[in-house]
Amino acid sequence: VKVRVWGARGSVPAPGPEMNRYGGNTSCVQVTLASGEELILDAGTGIRTLGLELTGRKRIHILLTHLHLDHIQGLMFFPPCFRSDCEITIWGPSSPEASLEDRIARYISAPLSPVEVRELPCSVSFRDTPASEWSLGGATIRSEAVTHRGPTLGYRITDGDTVLAYIPDHEPALGPPLADLEPEWISGFDLARNADLLIHDCQYSDAEYPDHVGWGHSGLGDTLTFGRRVGARRLGLFHHDPLHADEFLDELCAEARARWQELGGDATELAMGMEGAELEVYPAVQAVHA
Amino acid sequence: MSTPRAQKPLELILARNLLTNLSTPAFLVDDEAAVVFYNEAAAAMLGRSFEDAGRMTADQWTASFGPFDSDGTPIEVDRIAVTEAIRDGRPAHGSFSIRAANGELAEVEASAFPIVTSENGSSGAMILFWPRANGGPSK
Repeated sequence: VKVRVWGARGSVPAPGPEMNRYGGNTSCVQVTLASGEELILDAGTGIRTLGLELTGRKRIHILLTHLHLDHIQGLMFFPPCFRSDCEITIWGPSSPEASLEDRIARYISAPLSPVEVRELPCSVSFRDTPASEWSLGGATIRSEAVTHRGPTLGYRITDGDTVLAYIPDHEPALGPPLADLEPEWISGFDLARNADLLIHDCQYSDAEYPDHVGWGHSGLGDTLTFGRRVGARRLGLFHHDPLHADEFLDELCAEARARWQELGGDATELAMGMEGAELEVYPAVQAVHA
Repeated sequence: MSTPRAQKPLELILARNLLTNLSTPAFLVDDEAAVVFYNEAAAAMLGRSFEDAGRMTADQWTASFGPFDSDGTPIEVDRIAVTEAIRDGRPAHGSFSIRAANGELAEVEASAFPIVTSENGSSGAMILFWPRANGGPSK
């Protein structure tokens, strides 16, 4: 399984020379399964440049974690949406209030957009994620609601023996301390359990987090604790705060690796989400540190 | 076949987080009416911490704590507010007595709020308790 990051920024795009290495585009991750099929996780602004490379693709699955703008903003600029030979399926959280299509159409409609969903040349369908596991491209997909502001999913993608967990917006430490909680009370535990790669929210440093409790995102310490509690073998820190420039993220990375090692992890298996980064995800057996 | 759950539904996790921070005694029960958590205020009322008690089925917690009616007669599980809240998906309110770990009976009023989601249906209920001073209505 191959993973390529097209956007690792959270909240709002953050372009600028001081952001060039980690990138300023918001959440978008391309997953290439063993079958050759591809999944796209979230449709932040990073999906625009990804779309430029998908010229030959006729069937595309996009899995949205939620509908905050930093996870859907790129949809309207996704080149395959404007190809009549392209069939796009968009998966996302259900709502008792309105269909997924109607909720996304609030963005892709006037006055926010010059085009309406119904005007897109592609064939697009909208699907609520099922309550049970389902299959896409030979992989088993599981989604679960996780702690964030508003209905939000995390994804667990199992392809053969390889497990990728993607929880880009998540505040599992909102409540009792994560280190003391039984696994059954930890949001996202089932999704991330023994993942070969866990891509997880790390919007804040520990110094910043106290001013942002309840905003739906994690500080570094909680991200590391969550990663160890679920037994993730590799950890990708994701959803960088738009105020965090390259230099700051370099320092955060160094601190994260040192602390990950102190917690018993392998420092070389911790990576920062970085635009353009490619990772090969491979299976391994690891006990749960619960 | 789906992978078995090791984790509580998110709505129960969030409810526990809320109850943890309340000074009002509160229970959290799952869809089988088993007590899966109670907060420190409830622990003070009962004289026993949740960490000591652990998860209790409906039969276990009614045997330990009641409830009892005004005559001291145990109330059947099917007739108490929490069961109605889960069974009918509606809030319920009741007055009864509970027995603390030291054996003393305390009169309380209890309100049960069902926890229902579009995905999971009924996940359980939150029950908040208000002790009745001298047997009178709570203020």
